[in-house]
Amino acid sequence: MFPEMTFIDVRRDRILDDASAAFVMDEDAFRAFYERTARGLWAYLSRVTGDRQLADDLLQETFYRFLRAAATHDSEVHRRNSLYRIATNLARDARRRSLARVPFHVAGNDIEHVAGGNDAGSTERTADVTRALSNLKPRDRAMLWLAYAEGASHSEIASVLGLRVASLKPMLFRARRKLAKLLTREGDKP
Amino acid sequence: MKRLECEFEAEVLAAVLQCRWPDRIGTELHAHVSVCEICSDVVAIAGAIEGAREDTRAQAAIPDAGRVWWLAQMRAHREAVEAAGRPITAAQAIAFTCAIGLLGACFGATSSWFQSALHSVTSGSLLPSAFGVIATHGAVLLAMTALVFLVPAVLWLTVLRD
Repeated sequence: MFPEMTFIDVRRDRILDDASAAFVMDEDAFRAFYERTARGLWAYLSRVTGDRQLADDLLQETFYRFLRAAATHDSEVHRRNSLYRIATNLARDARRRSLARVPFHVAGNDIEHVAGGNDAGSTERTADVTRALSNLKPRDRAMLWLAYAEGASHSEIASVLGLRVASLKPMLFRARRKLAKLLTREGDKP
Repeated sequence: MKRLECEFEAEVLAAVLQCRWPDRIGTELHAHVSVCEICSDVVAIAGAIEGAREDTRAQAAIPDAGRVWWLAQMRAHREAVEAAGRPITAAQAIAFTCAIGLLGACFGATSSWFQSALHSVTSGSLLPSAFGVIATHGAVLLAMTALVFLVPAVLWLTVLRD
């Protein structure tokens, strides 16, 4: 088994930057990369789309497109950024398509069935976060999830979301403020 | 101007994500967080999201890496076959058009009524001759006209639209 890693782990360890893995994605390299990233990517997709089923589909599509792109990456960080960028674009496209048909299934309903730890307190806290996140725009959700669940840096988030770092900072600040207020409100509810 | 960043933000975030908050950090950082709006937001959000992240990851039903790899290979293979088949389809359509043209040329060279019609065109009795040809070989002419329009349409539908 390969351990799961966040952006922070990757930056700290730099253990995966060997040339053989960077330029060739054979089955073994793919399996290792998949084991490291799939679970975190699914969580990201399910939080951004708010739809567990859609996250399942987009996960496979993301890895397929990643493989088909056959791009060379000079480090694990770039490879991971590329994967998340593909996922973000797919989630955005899926949202546009569903907006054209029916109102988008925003986070809060389906994903709430996923959420929930073993103890009641954890379940309640997760439900609070889910409800609060569902009141944010998908881009804000993506930004906050990358920053505070994946530990991505500003430049990494900007790269994944296709934004400039200078534009990202105020956007992240506003999204954070809004979520903090929503969490306080959720926490105050009886 | 309102502050958008705090110099301790990264340190606070790392403390929360590495489960060092609130017990295993210095008193100075504690004191800073209690007065800094940005860092207190970071603590609240990162702590909440971290819990949700663990729950979400734990519940994720991720397909096996080998299965994803195999499906990707199959799909890539199918797409490659489709892509490789497109020039063949185009070549077949062109060959079909050429065959039709060749057949038409052979027909024109060997058919007596075609020769006589051509002769009447060159000798100036075009209209009566044309009406005669349409009256006797209307179905053939209709089929050839349809082919002229159908071949490009089929070509477009099979090749260019992809």
